[in-house]
This record gives sequence, C-alpha cells and structure tokens, in this order.
Amino acid sequence: MLAVDVGGTFTDVVAVRNGRIETAKVSTDYQAVYGSVIEGAESLGLRGSRIFNHASTHGLNAVITRNLPKIGVLTTEGHRDVLDHGTIGRPGSALLDPNWRRSFGDATRPLVERYLRRGIRERILADGSVLFPLDEDQARAEIRVLKRCKVEGVAIVLINAYLNAAHELRLRELVAEELGDVPVSISSDVSPLAQEYARASTTVVDTFMKLIFSDYVRLLDEGLRSHGFDGQLNFADCAATLVPAQSAMEQPFRIVFAGPAAGTVASAHFGELIGERNLICADVGGTSCDISVVRDGSPTLKTTFELEYDLVVNALANDVTAIGAGGGSLVTIGMSGEIEVGPGSAGSTPGPACYGKGGTQPTTTDTCLMAGIIDPATFANGKIALDPSLSRKAFEALDCTFSLPARIRFAYEMGVNNLAQGIFNVAVKTGVDPRRFSLVAYGAAGPMLLPATMDVIQCKEVIVPPHPGLFSALGLLSTEQKFAVNRSAYTMLTPAAAESLNSIFEEMERSLLATLPAARGVTLTRSFDGRLVGQTFEKPFVQVPSGKLDAAAIEQMVTNFHDTFEAATGNRFSAVPVEGVTYRVQATVPSEKVEYPVLPSRQEAGSDLRPIASRTLRYIYDEDIEVNVYDRSELRAGDTIAGPAIVTEKLSTTHIVPGQTLTVGHYGEMVITRAERSAR
Amino acid sequence: MTTLLEGPVPIDTFTQPTKIRDLSDAVFADLYSGDRFTASLLNKRLTFAVEHIATAFVRQAFSPIVAQWYDFSCCIAAPPEMDYMVSAVSDSLLSFVGTMPDAVRSTVTEYGVENLRDGDVLINNDAYRIGGHVNDLGFIKPVFHEGRIVAFIAMRVHQLDIGGVTPGGFGAMKRNAYENGLVIPPTLLFSEGKPVRSTFSLIFENTRFGAVLAPDLFSAYAQLRFGERLFLDNVVEYGLNTVHGSMRYACDANAEVMREAIQELPDGDYTATASLDADGIDDTEDYGVVVTVRKRGFKIEVDLTGTSRQARTCMNASFTDTKNAIGCALSMLIAPGVQFTSANWRDIDVVCPPGTMVSALPPDGAVMFYWESGNAILGAIFKALNPLLGERAMAGDVGSTNAHNGGGLLPDGTPWACIAQVGGEQGPWGATKAGDGDSYGVELILNCKSPGLEPVEAGAPVTVLANEAVIDTGGPGYHRGGAALRRESYWLADGQHYISPYRTKAPSGFGAYGGGDGAVGAIWSFPPEVARIRERSAPVPLDSSAYRDSVPIAGVLDPDAKTLGGSNATYFHYGAVPVWDFPAGTVMRVVTNGGGGWGDPFTREVERVVADVRNGYVSLEGAARDYGVVITGDPHFDPENLQIDETATHELRSRPR
Repeated sequence: MLAVDVGGTFTDVVAVRNGRIETAKVSTDYQAVYGSVIEGAESLGLRGSRIFNHASTHGLNAVITRNLPKIGVLTTEGHRDVLDHGTIGRPGSALLDPNWRRSFGDATRPLVERYLRRGIRERILADGSVLFPLDEDQARAEIRVLKRCKVEGVAIVLINAYLNAAHELRLRELVAEELGDVPVSISSDVSPLAQEYARASTTVVDTFMKLIFSDYVRLLDEGLRSHGFDGQLNFADCAATLVPAQSAMEQPFRIVFAGPAAGTVASAHFGELIGERNLICADVGGTSCDISVVRDGSPTLKTTFELEYDLVVNALANDVTAIGAGGGSLVTIGMSGEIEVGPGSAGSTPGPACYGKGGTQPTTTDTCLMAGIIDPATFANGKIALDPSLSRKAFEALDCTFSLPARIRFAYEMGVNNLAQGIFNVAVKTGVDPRRFSLVAYGAAGPMLLPATMDVIQCKEVIVPPHPGLFSALGLLSTEQKFAVNRSAYTMLTPAAAESLNSIFEEMERSLLATLPAARGVTLTRSFDGRLVGQTFEKPFVQVPSGKLDAAAIEQMVTNFHDTFEAATGNRFSAVPVEGVTYRVQATVPSEKVEYPVLPSRQEAGSDLRPIASRTLRYIYDEDIEVNVYDRSELRAGDTIAGPAIVTEKLSTTHIVPGQTLTVGHYGEMVITRAERSAR
Repeated sequence: MTTLLEGPVPIDTFTQPTKIRDLSDAVFADLYSGDRFTASLLNKRLTFAVEHIATAFVRQAFSPIVAQWYDFSCCIAAPPEMDYMVSAVSDSLLSFVGTMPDAVRSTVTEYGVENLRDGDVLINNDAYRIGGHVNDLGFIKPVFHEGRIVAFIAMRVHQLDIGGVTPGGFGAMKRNAYENGLVIPPTLLFSEGKPVRSTFSLIFENTRFGAVLAPDLFSAYAQLRFGERLFLDNVVEYGLNTVHGSMRYACDANAEVMREAIQELPDGDYTATASLDADGIDDTEDYGVVVTVRKRGFKIEVDLTGTSRQARTCMNASFTDTKNAIGCALSMLIAPGVQFTSANWRDIDVVCPPGTMVSALPPDGAVMFYWESGNAILGAIFKALNPLLGERAMAGDVGSTNAHNGGGLLPDGTPWACIAQVGGEQGPWGATKAGDGDSYGVELILNCKSPGLEPVEAGAPVTVLANEAVIDTGGPGYHRGGAALRRESYWLADGQHYISPYRTKAPSGFGAYGGGDGAVGAIWSFPPEVARIRERSAPVPLDSSAYRDSVPIAGVLDPDAKTLGGSNATYFHYGAVPVWDFPAGTVMRVVTNGGGGWGDPFTREVERVVADVRNGYVSLEGAARDYGVVITGDPHFDPENLQIDETATHELRSRPR
C-alpha cells in the first residue's frame, strides 16, 4: 500500500510493506505535480502495490491563487451576483475595519468575472413549480456570448433547482448544442441542496476541478502504470475518504482539498487500535495548527468546506479548524509593549531566524531552540542546520523592555497559551468536554509544544503517535472508500411526511447503489440535517432508521434529533417541532488499512531504558534545569519517563514538563499524563 | 458622557509621562497587581472566555435575528468598586459593543448591588437605561467568589418579539414607548439559580412567538453560567487581584493606543452633517445629525448640538447608542484593530442636548431603528474628519437597512412572517484606499450572516425575482464605490408590510479623497394588475416607462413618471400609508443607495474602467461622463470586443475640470 500527500512545499510518501511503515519526503514541483508524486512513490517502490491513495492541495491552491481556467456561469435572471455575495458577513476581526473586502467579491478577485455570469429567463418556485418557463431563445443568445468569449467550461445554477432540475437539464443540452463538448456542471446534479450561494460556489468549483484534474489524473495514471503499478488508484476527499480515480472525476469538487482531513482519520484509526475513541487531534506544522475532534471513534464531520473565508463548497469534510499557531509563528511586540505570538508566520521563506535564510523576527522554533528543547545538531533529522546565535539576535532586536530571559519565557508561554486556547475553543464549538478526551499530538511541532497545554485544556492525556511528522499521510492508509448522495426538501417531521421522505431515501439509495463499483461488504448509512422550527441553521448527521419509513420511523427521527441537539447544546426542547432540511445516504466500502507493528516490551528487550544525553533547559522554568534526553527508537512498551524530559526522533521532538509522566504503549505511542491523574 | 463609561483611572497617562510599555516592572506590578506578562496573558484569556460564550450561543439560537445578524453580545465586567470596567467584549454585533458597560452599571446600580445573591440573573431591556431597543434583552449574572461579587457576566440578546403594535418590532410607525413594546426595568429572571415564575409569565403574557423566546432565554442562561465558570477558573489559578489587575491593564493599554491616534490628528474644529428623510408621521420635518468634532491635543469633543429634535416615530437612538456610534466611527477611522474596552473612549467627550433624535427621551421619543441614526452619526464623523486624513479617508456606505417586515395569514389560516430579509437590508460599502467598495454588505455599524434566499422562499410566500447590482450607482472614483442593490420581491399571498427606508433624499454614500457620491435609491410597489408577472412570464421591466403605474413607497421621484430624479422630483414618504397591504401578485422593488467613490475617477486606469463597462457596473455613457474614458462596442453581447477611443479619452481626461 502506498499513500502520497501532496503539500504546497513537500510531498509526503508512506508505504506499508510486510508490516513495516516506510516514509519519504520530496519537494513538490509546481510545474509538474504528478512528476513529484511519481518520483516520491518510486523512491519507496511502486511495483507490486495493490493500492495507491492520493491526497493533494492542488485544487485548493488553484482556487486561492486564482490560477483557474476560464469558465462561464448560467444562472436565473436577476441572480447573477449570487457568487459574489457569499453569506454576506465579515469576520469578527474585521468588525471595525472598513478596509475589509470579501476575497471573492466584485471588489477583489471574483471566481468568475461578472460578464461571464449570464442571467437566463426562467424561474422555479419554492414548491418546485414553474413560474417562468425557460426562454430558450434568450438562453441561446446568452450562451453564444460565452462561446464568443471562448470559455472552456460552464457551470449552471438556477434558483430552486434543488427541487426541480428540468431547466438545468435543458440548459445543459443547449450548451452542448451551442458550445460542443465542454465540461458542464449543473447544480441539481453536483449538489442538490438548498441555499443558492453554497450550491453555486460548489458547482463552479466542480467545473474548475473537472478542467484542472482531468489531465492530471490521466498523466498520473499513465505515469504510475509505466512504473509498474497495476493496482487501484484512489483520491482522498475533504473528509479523507477514498474515491476511485474515475468516480472522483464525476464529482471532482469533493477532492478539492484533502490534506488536514487525513490527520483526523489517522488519529481515529490509531485511537481505535489503542482503545481511545474520544480524541482531540492537533496537527502543529510550520504556520498553523489544524484542530479536529473524533467522537466515539468517528471524525466530526461538517457539511461544507471553506476554501477561503466564506468561500464554501458543499463537500462533506472533516471539521478541521486552523489557527495561526505553529513552529514558524512570529514573536512580536504589541501596541502596549506586550509579547505576542502569531498569528503571522515566517512561512518556509524566510522561515525562523535560526534557519539563517534571512529571517530577522524570532519565531516559536527560535524560542524552543533558545530554551534548549530543540537540539540544533539533529533538527529535522539533521537536514536543516540551526544557528542559535541568530535566534538570540532576533530576540534581542525586539523593541520591548523585557530582559532576554523574560522575552523567551513569555514567548514560550504565550505560544503555548494560544495553542491551548485555540484547542479549547474548538472543544467548546464542538460541544465536547475535554476532560474525557485525549489530545493527539502530531505534525513536526506538535509533540514539542502540546504536552505543555494540558493544564489549560484539561484533557485526559496527550498521545504522541508513531511517526508524528508524517502522521497525516498515514491517514490515507487508515480510511474507507465512501460514496454519498444528498438532497434537500424542507419538510415538517410529522407522521404525514413518512411517505415523501421514504421515497426520497429509497430513490437516493437506488441511484447510489447503481453507481457503486462491484464490491462486497457495502454498508449504507442514512442521516438528515434538521432544525427546530424557527432556527436558521441546521444540525447535520442526525440518524435515520433504515428500511421503510413509517410514522414510527419519523417519530424516531424526531427523537434522534432532540438527542443530538441536547448532546451538543445541553438543552432539550421537546415541545418544538422538528423540520428536516437535507437528507443524506452514504455507502461505505471497506478498504485495506495500515496495521501498526507491536512494540516489544521492556522485559523482552532485556536491558534498562537509558537516556542518550542530558540537556539544560533555560529560561522557560524558574531556574535552569538539567533534563534527560531519550531516543524514541530505544523506547519499549511499558517504559515510563518522568517529566521534565525530552524524547527525540527523526522528524520531531517531544517535550514533557515537570509533573507529567510519559508511558510507552504497545504500538509505540507515548501517552503523557499529569501527575495528579493516574496513568492508564 | 465619558464619566459614565469608565472606572476610576489608576494611572493617568497624561500627567504620567511614561507610557505603559516603558513602565518599570516594579511600577507596573504596583499598578496592575501582577507582572506584565501575566497581565497580557490574562487579558487574552478573558477575551477568549467571551469568545467561547459567543461561539456556543450563536450555534443554538432560535431567533433568526440572532443567528443571522449576530444580534447579541457578551462581556465580562468588573465589580462595582472597579466601576464595572469591561476589558473584553465579544466580536458579535458592533452596535452593542460600546453600550454593554453602561448596561451593566446602570442595571446593577438601580437594582442595588447589595440585593444580589449568588445564582441571580437580572434582566433589563430599557433603551433609555441601557441602549439598543426593547427587543434587546440584557442579562446580567453576578459572579461570586468567597462570598463577594468579583465580576459580572453579561449578555444582550435580541428577542424575536417583545410585544408592542408591530409583530417582530421592526415597524417604523411606532410613536412612543407604549407602542414600542414591553419595557422591563432591572428585574430578576433567575433567583439563586431558580427561574422566577412571575418574570417569565410577564414576558410570555406580553409577547408573541413564546415558543422561540423560551429556548433562547434558557440558552442565554446556560452561557452565563459557562462564562462564570471560565472566569472563576482564572481566579482560582491566578488570584483575584491579578485577574482584576489584568482588566485594569487592558483598559489602560487600549485607552493609550486611542490617545496616541487622537494626538496625531491636527487640532481644529470640524463639522459635518447627515440627514434622515422623515419620520413615520409625515414628511413635514427634516431630520439631520450635526456633528462638530473639536480636537485639542489628545482630547476629542464631539458636539451634537444642532441635531434635530427627537422624531415622532421610532427612528431615534438613546444617548448610549450615540456614544457607541461615535466611538466606533473614530476607532474605524484612526485606530482600526484596537481591542475594545470600556476605557477606549476615555479621551472622547460627547456633548448632546437631551431630547434630540440621538438622545431621545421616554415616553415620546420612541427608539427602535437606533442603528439608522447611529450610522448617520458614523457617516457624519467620517465626513468631518476625512479632509484631515488624506488617503486614509473613507467613503460612505448604503446608509440604511431599508428594513422590511412582512406577515399575514396563508389561505388556510397559517400565519407567516418575513422579517429583515427581502427589503434593502444589504447593500454596498464605500471605497477606501484598500480598493473598490464591495457591493454586497450591510451598514458598517452592523454585520450579518445569511443562508440566502432559497430558505426565505421556503419559509414565506415570497419569490425574489432579482438581487443584483445596479449599473451606474457606485460613486465614481479611482476606487469605485460599491454598486447599489436592486431586490425585487414577488408576493404569493396577501400580507401586511412595513418598510423603513431613511436615506433616500441625499446620498449616504458620500465620496472621499476626491471621489464622487454614490446614487440614491428608492422603493416602489407594483400592484398585481400592473406587475402581471404570470401573464408576461417575466419580471417587471427596468425601462423608465414601467414605473408610471407603480406605487412609490419611498424616494425622490418624478411625480408622473415615478422614476428617480428629474427637475420636478418630489419626495415620496414611506409613512404615507402606515401599513402597506400587498395583495398576492404584488411586486416590491427596492433599489438601495450606492457606495461613495475614493480618489479622482479620472485617474482610474482605463483597463479598470473597461472592465467595469464589460461587467455592467458602469455604462458607456457613465464611462465618458464619470471617468473620462470613451468606449465603443456592445458591452452585453460582445463584452470582450470593447474599443477604447484613445484620442477622445485623452481629450476628456486632459480637459480642465
């Protein structure tokens, strides 16, 4: 099994062969991304692999850089600005800022210029009936404008088309007649959900992805096969579930972005293995910390994914919140002389000051280097040489009254605090009590910073999994193939609704099964998005009974809704009627997954655990302290280490603080607990 | 008015020449009961605490006004001996931010702090005491630690209905406090952790939509308790004095940032005005805000003398909202990005006689559309200070929410309501140095998030036939103002409608830094026999002849043709009919104001003008008239083949203006 995670800077490759996990990292070549993928995979050997799972930020990068093909949009007359409107609001940080602009609005960088968005005379009402029939002459005249402008593809989004697709289907025919064989996406097919803006942006992104990915998939597939690969090529989507390459091309908006989602899936899979099913997952990289939640063994999903602020696609996605806190977070001085850390980042260029690539502002990496947590000689497996004198210079150059030791200590504490508060806010938002959750620490900088957040987050324990630096990529080997259909219809959940809802679900299941590749062990899962009557926003993924829906089943749906609502908010409003909005069916096809090797126990090793060195930690505690340094590859199941201590490995450093205890588990995981809590 | 806002000042940064950042550690510790780092860390934590409360609340709100318009806020206030200072407010509704500190002080003082017990929750919704309008219910929970009050957790949450003559409240015709809605002075909602039955009964007996109100009341209570827990966690970990010290520190530090920004402006007196069209009674009286900004050293005095007397219907604001609008305007202009605390406006004095439309008094000075007066104040302050700011000057926005509020019974007797969704609630921003104005936002003093029009159509008998930018309406400029919005609603059932447009007589989208004004808008209805939507299978046309048989609702229009402007144009008054009865089949057309332009339009790059023509923001005529760019071609059917007449353009652009 092979998996490739194509990031903006690096392409991570993991392979599982004969029970061993192998990893590689190569630079991403923007000009020919598929080349980097093949190069990376080849370095671990392609021949004989049955499965090749692929995730990339390719689609997202194309959108956020607006490096996009020229497409046209056909929409209901009077609504051609729907794409510019978003959901209207500005973010809280811009409340007092009249210079804020919607990043995809008409004043900045719209996805499709206004003159390529054409209004079509037609109108469907909220009950699905037709107010204005499609005016085909007017439509043809508008489509010919797109032809004159030589668009490469067309997205069709009509108001209320989620209820009645007739006009969109006919327009697609007219486009084919006028423009010939260009990619066309229609909203009633791509995402037949209510709310015109999200449906429009999803459909437009789908058209873009069709144009961007079709060549890529072909070149990648050919390239892999010419290097001896003859297995199944899958793409990961925004929820890090897998889609066979050809199915992916039928709904390419799903694969617009798949990076961070994989980390959540890796955590869920590994958590299952060690018996921890409630997890807060934190992936601390260079510029950001991606935070997500696994509850009862399942990643927390959301129904939309944001490419930019408010630029949404209706893709099922793991609910991942990124905050501006990572190894590259800049240490700055605020308006009143206080130390601030992030959200700005030094990025990969110039990077932290100690990289010696021209950065003059200290970063969290510089803080940890000055504190002695990072060893300059072995950082990133010795691939990046660090110069502590540059970190020192950067800290000294800060314009504030603090002494150097105070600067470093405060930068450390503020960095840890920002991570802790960001993670806690995600817990609040998701409605989980962190005291019953384990914090999974991964990403290159995660194990170094996250154990220190325990006092604020009050989580049960911190778990550092094997290969924390490449853990996300392992998620691509920890997941299933999934296929989904969704449909919206505002319906009061009363016994009278049983018949219409039953036919919605039956028809969705029929069409879903018809598209599935032949496979065994398929399971179907139904759910709905509902709300209490009067609410604006829905609660998704409420369970729906299987089989024929009758009055009792509707009653069960209502009860399930109240249960879900109560679990999330603490309140139960049984007297308020429930309205169904969107209905979902998901088919899961089991896939082969990574198995983590069992770590021998200390008794089997026949020797005692010994530190490989000792090191002085400065500034961050009240006085300098000597700590033991351990090599992770020498740890054995059952080992315990009392904090403060350091554990080093190829791409990462773990720092446990005084009062914490690290225990090594059967699969090599390091479980960190606080002294007052009993070890597992 | 500042004395009402801030607490005892532990350090006067004027007589104390040392800035906070330059204080020695010993002096700092003395002033703020802790070290500098802990103070800034705790400031962050308290800010996060209010964010946690807001995050949790908005996700379970019933009232669409809360969920879509963020119409709530929360804060942590210090105890009485620190004069209720507030160091952290949630970033939800801007128009609530600055009134929260006054709300806590006024409510607790009147009720009597000595009467409060652990587990009590006070409510208050009186605009004249705490700002906002009657629908905005303030909740205040004292936080006890070791037997004494150490803080208050406060929220303000818009209730979907609070009684009064208009369901939902957004009716422009309400003439006094009695018609406005139920006024609740400081009253216990929870007593020692138990709901007070009489208070709940009082609310439910006097309001509509109790099924929505009840869950929102309990959700707010859950968040107050959550906030209390977060605050006490910090007290246990750091000690009470240190937590209080960090609140003083945050207030002083941000006050100092504002002071430095004020100091940079040149001394002088600067005056500007903004007008509101008319109150609901008739159009015999002109309403206007007059703002005089007097700047001396680090102090600003904003004098509202000359502002119109309070209106006879509910477009007034109370003094606390006026103070908030002034503070927000100055923050936006001179210190964007500053953290809000109750001390930010320490160096800003407000002078305002009582009984004006921005300092209304009960019972006759009814307060409902307080943000409309507030946005006028904000605009007037921008206009007054813009000339000092060079390229930092900012143009005006859409100016009014043109709020619509409709309802009725379906043929089967089911009631329906459509509140603040299909009038002119959205519209453009003005241009600034950052670029063209966005064409789809809300007034600067508000913010909102909406799931769109399809859910509205699913929930009410209405079809929105247009929701689009209007050509030639954005103020010309090097950066163009956002275009006006045209929104057309086609009503499928009979209903009663209230519409509250306030800025159609004069442009609210004033230009800045040499930019031009945005256009003014208007509102019309087309009765079924005029609209004939089903017969024509098309929307009402846009050409000028289509308006002749329309019924103007608001705007300055030609009395015969009913089109905008013209030499005979007269003002049509939205209140001419108190309740607009629209039979099924009626179309309402709203055109908002355009945003103001920024910078000289004749310097806008020719390619950007061509793009505007291609994209339908500027007409061929407008390009020549407003930008001095002569373009030929067919922008609609051949948008990529527009030709620039270089010679004519050069001639126009080099002509003296």
